[in-house]
Amino acid sequence: MKVKRKFFEKNDLKYTLMTVLTFVVFLMLWQVLAMNNLIVGEYTPSPSEVLEAFIFKIYNVGPDGNLLITNILTSLQISMSGFVLAVIIGVPLGLLMGWYRLLDRFVRPIFEIIRPIPAVSWIPLMIVWIGVGTEAKAVIIFLTAFIPCVLNSYTGIRQTSQALINVAKVYGASNFYTFLHVGVPSTVPMIFAGMRIALASSWSCLVAAEMLAASAGLGYMINMGRNFGRADVVVLGMIIIGFIGYIFTTVFTVIEKIVVRGGTI
Amino acid sequence: MEQKYLTRLKISNISKSFPNKEGKRELAVDNISLDVYDGEFLVLLGPGRCGKSVLLNMIAGLMKPDEGKVVLDGEEITKPNPQMGMVFQKTGLLPWLTVMDNITFGPRQRGESKKIYTERAQKYIDMVGLTGFEKSYPYQLSGGMKQRVGIARAYTNEPKILIMDEPFGALDAQTRYSMEQEVQNIVEKDRRTIIFVTNNIEEALMLGDRIILFTNYPARIKKIYDVNISKPRDTMDRTFLMLRKEISENTDLAL
Amino acid sequence: MRIKKEKISTEYKMKYSIWYHVLPFLSIGLLIAVWYLGSSSNPMIFPTPNTVLRRMIELSQNKLSGYTLIGHMGVSLLRVAVSLGLAIIIGVPLGVLIGWSRGVRATIGAVFECIRPIPMLAWIPLMVMWFGIGEKSKIIMIFMAALMPIVVNSYTGIKMISPLYLDVGKMFNASTEWQLLRSIVLPAALPTIFAGIRNATSMALMVVLAAEMIAARAGLGFLINRGMEVFDVSLVMSGMVAIGVTGALVAVLTNFIERKLCPWNRSI
Repeated sequence: MKVKRKFFEKNDLKYTLMTVLTFVVFLMLWQVLAMNNLIVGEYTPSPSEVLEAFIFKIYNVGPDGNLLITNILTSLQISMSGFVLAVIIGVPLGLLMGWYRLLDRFVRPIFEIIRPIPAVSWIPLMIVWIGVGTEAKAVIIFLTAFIPCVLNSYTGIRQTSQALINVAKVYGASNFYTFLHVGVPSTVPMIFAGMRIALASSWSCLVAAEMLAASAGLGYMINMGRNFGRADVVVLGMIIIGFIGYIFTTVFTVIEKIVVRGGTI
Repeated sequence: MEQKYLTRLKISNISKSFPNKEGKRELAVDNISLDVYDGEFLVLLGPGRCGKSVLLNMIAGLMKPDEGKVVLDGEEITKPNPQMGMVFQKTGLLPWLTVMDNITFGPRQRGESKKIYTERAQKYIDMVGLTGFEKSYPYQLSGGMKQRVGIARAYTNEPKILIMDEPFGALDAQTRYSMEQEVQNIVEKDRRTIIFVTNNIEEALMLGDRIILFTNYPARIKKIYDVNISKPRDTMDRTFLMLRKEISENTDLAL
Repeated sequence: MRIKKEKISTEYKMKYSIWYHVLPFLSIGLLIAVWYLGSSSNPMIFPTPNTVLRRMIELSQNKLSGYTLIGHMGVSLLRVAVSLGLAIIIGVPLGVLIGWSRGVRATIGAVFECIRPIPMLAWIPLMVMWFGIGEKSKIIMIFMAALMPIVVNSYTGIKMISPLYLDVGKMFNASTEWQLLRSIVLPAALPTIFAGIRNATSMALMVVLAAEMIAARAGLGFLINRGMEVFDVSLVMSGMVAIGVTGALVAVLTNFIERKLCPWNRSI
């Protein structure tokens, strides 16, 4: 029998209580300090103000001109299109690069030139080239999400067990067949890990992408909030972005667990 | 032979259970009592995963028994005790330390003077045949060499009782055999009380003065064998073969 | 090990192929060719590589807003270095504490876990409202961006330590918590902590750009932003090339330090 020894987690009521208490104290402290303008100045909304802003934004378009739900959907649409594009192009590219050495030699120099340039610095160039529409934002998000997709698929397929490849070879499989039926399946866990990173970074790049002139979106809402000096809207936007990001990660982890159940050998 | 009957370690009525997948408690070690004599080479033999490791962890003070107690020289063991050394199953070498630093880890933690412990460490490094590898990192060593480091580390800490938890389980047959010879040589040169755990009958018979045979999960003592064959032992010796047959017929199958 | 040998032998064969050596040059050549072709249609919005190169040389000889190109790189790097230093000094102990102590994890760790999903770039507008657009505000923004990955990795690194190492420590006289922490936990977590510092570095480079693009009088982000304001695309591209080079240099440097600090870690 293998005994799992847990050094770190014991389900103790004491610690759960401590966590709950921490949040109560945290929120109360925030409320009191914000009401008396004791933290960093006047632009600190209290939790209750943020809550009010949340309720207000459900039915009202001010100050940025959109309902909250419109902003959320716009952002989702942009980040998803960038993400999906990155997966569709990045994953196969990474896999092929990892399997076919010559392709690797060809693509890698270009990839390595682009890789260290942060996505944020593409923004001005994109404005000049593509304009400020949805496409420009999607391209910037694509550039962020693309890199982890390629890197993880590449590293993953390079780690394919030679034993498995030999089995395929012994049974007379062609190189491409082996790639498709041995290389790719054995890389699935790594591909998913890369997609998870890509999803997180495409979502986090959103605010920057929506700093380009936009007319809706959560990043736009935050920027407008700043322009109008509405810190409550800014914080609301941050919390919603954080919350959706959290949901993304959680849902994706569940999917990952289901798909990768076979696991690696 | 007189000193052999001086009890060093007294294990009395210890039990330990763990929650299983369904959340019920399942017994891993069931009411074991055992005396370990001074200077003997005691082998705990049992089928794979029969709860031997749990028993060892309790003897070493890394786990607390649910019931019963372990007493060393009249003192109950509740936490790891420097009087006891351990050679770990998975070697447990610290990957960030060189061979020398791994071996001198114990004395350094105790705050011994560098001159003394380095000298002692060198003696054991030479004894296990690792001379020249002092500055290597564990990843640069083969499996057999790693376990030699583990043995030298345990000896350098100068324990009264040395626990070896299936130390050669991960080695291939050839290396395993030569490591058994090695241990025998070391024991001859530097006599200590040793508790050696294994699931290999031949290994048990090669090394042990006394063999405790355990049942399959939960671990209970099934039978105790005194091995009165002079060392070094010959695997083709008649008594050896007879004992081997007897033990093997008495052993529970572990699937 | 047998498997590795097989791989090496196929790679060895590959290296005899002419394509293996020619392709990298071909690809860079193609990139430059496409760049030229693309820029021939409208050099205003898509300057040729030549123009960008000339612009970069000019920038490194004549000062713009008080600094040469290297100077602007230095300004950005200094901001990153200061913030990153602060983030390491505060983040590593904080992460270690969260990982090591159940109480700290249940309190500070929980708050941290709650803030974590909010992307660093989303903090920038609030930071601007709170601290303005001065030097202090930039340092705080970059610091926060770098802090997150450092804390998270230090904490994960400690949580992932194999219980075996703790057992080894306990068996070999590391009897106090402090001894265990210093001689077992920290070294075992060091590679993971370092991976966090590496992530933090690339986050910091990203945020320093964003911060400088919002408002600054020097730095690579300033160059890019200035280029956009006066519609000087070659300046924008010069800035991008410079940041790419900076990023690559920083990566080489962190790798070097990591190799020195964790000589046993073979995954570097």
